[in-house]
Amino acid sequence: MALPEAKKLKLVLFAAVFIVAIGLPFILRDPYYLGFVNVFIMYSILSLGLNLILGYTGLLSLGHAAFFGLGGYTTAILMKNHGLPFVPSLVISALIALFFGFLVGIPTRKVKGDYFCLLTIIFGEIFRLVVQSWIGFTGGAMGIVGIPIPKIFGWTIRTEADFYFLGLGLLCFTYFTLAILVKSKFGRAFVAIREDELAASVMGVNAPVYKILAFGIGCLYAGLAGSYLAVYQTVVTPSNFRLEESCFMIIAVIVGGMGNLGATFSGVFLMTLATEVFRPIAEYRMLIIGLIMVIVLLFRPQGLFGASAFKD
Amino acid sequence: MLFNILIAGILLGSIYALVTIGYSMVYGILKLMNFAHGDVYIFGTLFCFTLLSKYHLNAVIAVVISAIMGGVLASAVEFFAYRRLRAAQHRMISMITALGAAYIIQNCSELEWGSQVLPFPSLIPAQFIEVFGHQISTTQIITLMVAVGFIVLFNLFLKYHKMGKAILCVSEDINTSRLMGIPINLIISIVYFLGGVLGVIGGILYSASFNAISLGMGFRGTIIAFTAAVIGGIGSMNGALIGGMILGISENIIAVYVSSTYRDTLTFLILIIVLLIKPSGIMGKGDYEKV
Repeated sequence: MALPEAKKLKLVLFAAVFIVAIGLPFILRDPYYLGFVNVFIMYSILSLGLNLILGYTGLLSLGHAAFFGLGGYTTAILMKNHGLPFVPSLVISALIALFFGFLVGIPTRKVKGDYFCLLTIIFGEIFRLVVQSWIGFTGGAMGIVGIPIPKIFGWTIRTEADFYFLGLGLLCFTYFTLAILVKSKFGRAFVAIREDELAASVMGVNAPVYKILAFGIGCLYAGLAGSYLAVYQTVVTPSNFRLEESCFMIIAVIVGGMGNLGATFSGVFLMTLATEVFRPIAEYRMLIIGLIMVIVLLFRPQGLFGASAFKD
Repeated sequence: MLFNILIAGILLGSIYALVTIGYSMVYGILKLMNFAHGDVYIFGTLFCFTLLSKYHLNAVIAVVISAIMGGVLASAVEFFAYRRLRAAQHRMISMITALGAAYIIQNCSELEWGSQVLPFPSLIPAQFIEVFGHQISTTQIITLMVAVGFIVLFNLFLKYHKMGKAILCVSEDINTSRLMGIPINLIISIVYFLGGVLGVIGGILYSASFNAISLGMGFRGTIIAFTAAVIGGIGSMNGALIGGMILGISENIIAVYVSSTYRDTLTFLILIIVLLIKPSGIMGKGDYEKV
């Protein structure tokens, strides 16, 4: 069977990435490096979801950490207080994040641009305040400790390598569903809305519905990542889901390149690496993140691998 | 009881209005969410705290110096982080650099002052006087007078001074103003400077009447200013006044009659309701999309 040259190359590249991904925990024996990879995987899931909202549909959401937190707290409460197994908790967490995503997305019909951005900040703040104040349900500022070890059909997930494979599975699910989605009719509608909402509506794209869909689906992946964080850390606290986390993801998406799924990985890698490298001087962390934000955007506003130029 | 709550609400509202005016003006000109606003005014207020408690400067001089510091810092942020990006393809980009600038300032303040709550000295001696059978402290009255005085002064400046008129022109149409010979870059720097000055004065009044200052108030300040600006109608001076008052009064009423734990949550719900009913705010003119 004769394949075109480009397609052949893509296939080979894909196989290579696949083999490396499977073999990684056997090469990286040190749990420290594997832990870094696991954090990278978690932020990749989050940022890929955010890229659908920010990069493809053009909605600036500064409340993504709240959906991340919804997933984390749902899993924590279900597994610890109700003794539910991991898989149903994961699914319910994602669905709850999806539900709240739709709920926050509904006002996009009327509330646009910066006002929508404000709405997402406010949602994030309300989430954080409620989680901090509702001590009986969410444990207040101390959070929920001692989330049980997850099991999937008899496979106990305990070591870093186990979590790596769990994360890899979730990441593959995220990447491939999103890759299919953005190539479909839906993806084209999202891009059309980003480029010119009015023109898109004139062409028959039901803009409000598609915006709600994009926002909700992007949040679903945040719920998955939150669930992963809960079992990986065995602790969730309100400080895991602050505005800084939302900013972290936004920078990852923008630095990588908006509207380009593959480029998201480079942004996330840069950001997690920077956090890790500068850990010894943690009190300067925000200063450094701020500098990265300002400098990268001053000199390369479209990101490292920007897909297409935005217009006003 | 209700009378005292209302007085406290009006006081808080006037301080919020002062902080909001600077924010709203900047937004009105560049349509840019200035995330650094809160951190700039907290920096100025902390600077004033150091001048007062460490160097025992005269209160008026300390306030003037730190207000100018705040103004200079605000225009420096504009110069370094926003100016180059004014022609960028998307406004989202300068919003993110604004956040980055906010982080840098916040981190620098944290290195210098830490993140704990510091005891800000009360600048105005507290005496109680009786008005209509209610006790009111002179601190409240003087704070209110200073805040309202600055708002009135600023409005007069915008209306009658040449520079103020230029600011109004630029906020109406930036390109036409440039064609009419108004130095855009200078005006924008001045707007940021004035926004910073008003913010720092608001921050000092707030800290002096509650005897507390902490870094955490910076981000909350940004959100409060934006919320008040949106409720009143962004870019409008009267809107900023109304929005600030609504927030200040409702905050006090909610804290006393409903729940002090969920005060901020419920305040934010007011914003969501306003956004859903009238996204352009109470005094807003409403945006028209150009085809």
